[in-house]
Amino acid sequence: MSHWAVRRTAEAVALTILGAVLLVALVHLLPGDPLNAIIGERALDPATKALLREQWGVDHPLPVVLGDFMVGITRGDLGISYGEQRPVATLLAERLGPTLLLGSLTLLITFTVGMALGLWSALRPRSRRAQLLGTLTLITYTLPSFVIGLVLVWVFAVSWQWLPSAGLDDPLLPIDATGGAVLLDRIRHLILPLATMVLATIAVPIRQQRSAALATVAAPWVMAARARGVSPWRIAWQHVWRPAVTPVITLLGLWLPLLVSGAVFVEYVFAWPGVGALIAEATGTRDIPVVIGAGVLLVAAVQLGSLIADLLYRVATPGTVES
Amino acid sequence: MSIRHRLGVVLAFTVMLLAILGPLLTGDPTAQPDPVGGRLLAPSTAHWLGTDAFSRDVLSRLAHGARLSLLIAAIAMTTAGSIGVLFGVVAGGVRGLFGWTTSRAIDIALALPRIVVLLVVVAALGQITPVELGLVLGLTGWPSIARLVRGEALRLREETHVTAAVALGAPPARVIAREILPGTLPPALVAATLGVADVVLLEAGLGFLGIGVSPQLPTWGSMILQAQRHLAEAPWLLLAPGVALVVATAAATLLGDALRSRLAPGSR
Amino acid sequence: MTLLDVHDLHVAFDGSGHQAVTAVDGVSFGVGRGELVALVGESGCGKSLTGLAILGLLPETARTLDQSKVVFDGTDLTTLAPAAMRRYRGARIAMIFQDPVASLNPVMRVGAQISEAIRAHGRATRQEARARAIALLAEVGIADPASRVDAYPHQLSGGMRQRVMIAIALAAEPELLIADEPTTALDVTVQAQILELLDTLRASRGMAVLLVTHDLAIVASRADRVLVMYAGRIVESAATRDLFHAPRHPYTRGLFGSLPTLADGSARLAPIPGIVPPPDRWPSGCRFHPRCPVGVDRCRRDVPPLVDIGPRHTAACWVTGAEANR
Ligand SMILES: Nc1ncnc2c1ncn2[C@@H]1O[C@H](COP(=O)(O)OP(=O)(O)O)[C@@H](O)[C@H]1O
Ligand code: SF4
Ligand SMILES: [Mg+2]
Repeated sequence: MSHWAVRRTAEAVALTILGAVLLVALVHLLPGDPLNAIIGERALDPATKALLREQWGVDHPLPVVLGDFMVGITRGDLGISYGEQRPVATLLAERLGPTLLLGSLTLLITFTVGMALGLWSALRPRSRRAQLLGTLTLITYTLPSFVIGLVLVWVFAVSWQWLPSAGLDDPLLPIDATGGAVLLDRIRHLILPLATMVLATIAVPIRQQRSAALATVAAPWVMAARARGVSPWRIAWQHVWRPAVTPVITLLGLWLPLLVSGAVFVEYVFAWPGVGALIAEATGTRDIPVVIGAGVLLVAAVQLGSLIADLLYRVATPGTVES
Repeated sequence: MSIRHRLGVVLAFTVMLLAILGPLLTGDPTAQPDPVGGRLLAPSTAHWLGTDAFSRDVLSRLAHGARLSLLIAAIAMTTAGSIGVLFGVVAGGVRGLFGWTTSRAIDIALALPRIVVLLVVVAALGQITPVELGLVLGLTGWPSIARLVRGEALRLREETHVTAAVALGAPPARVIAREILPGTLPPALVAATLGVADVVLLEAGLGFLGIGVSPQLPTWGSMILQAQRHLAEAPWLLLAPGVALVVATAAATLLGDALRSRLAPGSR
Repeated sequence: MTLLDVHDLHVAFDGSGHQAVTAVDGVSFGVGRGELVALVGESGCGKSLTGLAILGLLPETARTLDQSKVVFDGTDLTTLAPAAMRRYRGARIAMIFQDPVASLNPVMRVGAQISEAIRAHGRATRQEARARAIALLAEVGIADPASRVDAYPHQLSGGMRQRVMIAIALAAEPELLIADEPTTALDVTVQAQILELLDTLRASRGMAVLLVTHDLAIVASRADRVLVMYAGRIVESAATRDLFHAPRHPYTRGLFGSLPTLADGSARLAPIPGIVPPPDRWPSGCRFHPRCPVGVDRCRRDVPPLVDIGPRHTAACWVTGAEANR
């Protein structure tokens, strides 16, 4: 790894740690007694309350809390969930798979399809279809993800009953179902959340790719390539898209937070058992260790993503950037 | 003014009208006139947008929701705008350790996805009032404005009228207040206007998750949460707040674009 | 038979709402095999549009009108389908442009851009194309072609980039090269080298060249013939020697008037006052009349025809053209 890559990686790690510190400190400094969340509706005598306060460490001073948290993290210990009385790390581990599945597929589809559509509409900016696409992206951009999700549920799950509207798989699936049946069931459950995630996040890459490609479409080198008889396909690919790809890669880093908020709301709508739904539910029950644990995980994911985007950017711009 | 920009003004006007006049013209959003026979009624002359599962008038809730959304957005954007401009101007205009530290603080704040901070804060605070929610949204929204203002301040710092003022011996604080700050306000205003769209969406999102303000309050988010439970029998419950959200966010986005082409042409 | 015969070429822009604007208005000329013809005129006269129209590369908003013919080696290119037209571009007619910096794709190695031109028009393996690319770079005078072939455009100087553009143009051995202001963006010393190179290649390959330029000075020693264009029309054409010794059209004389005359180039005689109006504001009659020092009443009303005024010498002027001599 080059000097630059090492430095950039260190920066990502530092930002993640600082982010974690900020989140923990924020909870500690804000008013609001987490004990209510722990004891719930139960009426307890003061002695028991005091015992619980001590046991959960709610009254520890900030430096102690931070120190405990950091020491814990190095051991993979993120505390115990108030609600479930189980280690947060275990909860997160259970929830990570579904989120990674949904998130990575979204990333893949949104970027490839988004770039293709953006490029396509830049090649025919004045066509009816390109203008229709522009209007549609504006609408999906202004629609919140959960409304998109609910509209899809209404159409495909409630009205037409083609697809399931919740969960990761069908609980009624026979135990002895074949691998193919299980896979098919999983895919059917995946379609609506995935479609929602893609629709909710695709406007940005489409627009970004479109405006980048609109600039390169008019570039003199495109005219020069046409003058030497290069085929339209090759022009679109080599001379319009390739020089216009870097702004979209840079965007990847900025776009990841969108993916995170998409994950929170879309997973919640579809009861998709992922980290996003977990943090949403835990916020509702004020299960603070879970909220912080999931939050730190999401911060780390965003940092990792923008680190990868920066490295990709370096690869995609051979020799043209030296700084 | 282009057609898009005009559309933005018209949409913004519609939402404001709904928020200001709507609550005066429609009834009590919490009234449950007939919880048995009057629930989930389709739109009619008596209830233009129908009734919800508790027989409450949807139009009335929509209008009160608009008022709450605008109130929260106004508080949030004032808060985020002031903090963002302050941090941005200091980070971009002040040289030395102080400016550098402020700048790093902005970078760190930017590294945290807004939704995560928001959920952590709401989890810590529990149920809050709409005014408090506005403040919370503002306190989580300033970093992007600060980044923009910082860039603008860095650019302005190199302009001749600023370097001239410095060369003439003007004290740094005065240079910042007189020469740099005013120049950063137009782009900050544009960013704040565009940011209204995010605030409206986040506020609705929290309402949809049933957290933040009381779910009893007639917010667009809580209306959508309700609608989800009755998608089969009463899909129009989703339509009303859904369209309202699109109109409000489109208004803010188009208005921000219009402001940008007026105040800060060329910037993107 | 001439290699290229442009006949009554009209290029029009779809005006926004109202009627079309004609920016090239009835241009006719021929280019013989191996000939170097210069197309000269101030900026905005329609020279580039003429060049682009020949290759069918007009901007989306422009089109050639029906009566126009561009006959290349017996085929009217204006009637060809896009795919058929593409087989002429680069292969039989190549074109290079003013800005060699922007004419190269910044994210592709120069060798790849040359190979692309080779492979667009014939079968060649990657290795063959690369070897050809290196040979072409050598032919256009780039030192160390075997390593430069792997360079990115930003690693080369402006002059070298124009040489690369020429190498690309030569890749498929065209019979005609349209060079649109090939030296305008370059330093004076580099300009001379590039022109020298074009002249050498024309001789060694027997390739015809249509040299488009606003600068009469650079055509003097190299062009066989000169076409002078003003406001969408050809106003004078002659063998270079004749034109330089006896320019007839007041516009041509004006162009000479704006040439530097002192050896050090420091003093300029009076340039033509005013500027070329855009196509939607062309005046009636002779389009040069608002700027013409010798115009008469008639010039305002009637369009002067392009007529023979000597052996292979034509001009379009009421005062100094054939009519006045009669
Ligand atoms: N894409 C275009 N849209 C509208 N007008 C154009 C366009 N390109 C060229 N023109 C007009 O056509 C005229 C001739 O242009 P051009 O052929 O580029 O001139 P030259 O090459 O002689 O400088 C110019 O006056 C210009 O205003
Ligand atoms: S026709 Fe008249 S205006 Fe035109 S160039 Fe000749 S003298 Fe001048
Ligand atoms: Mg030109």
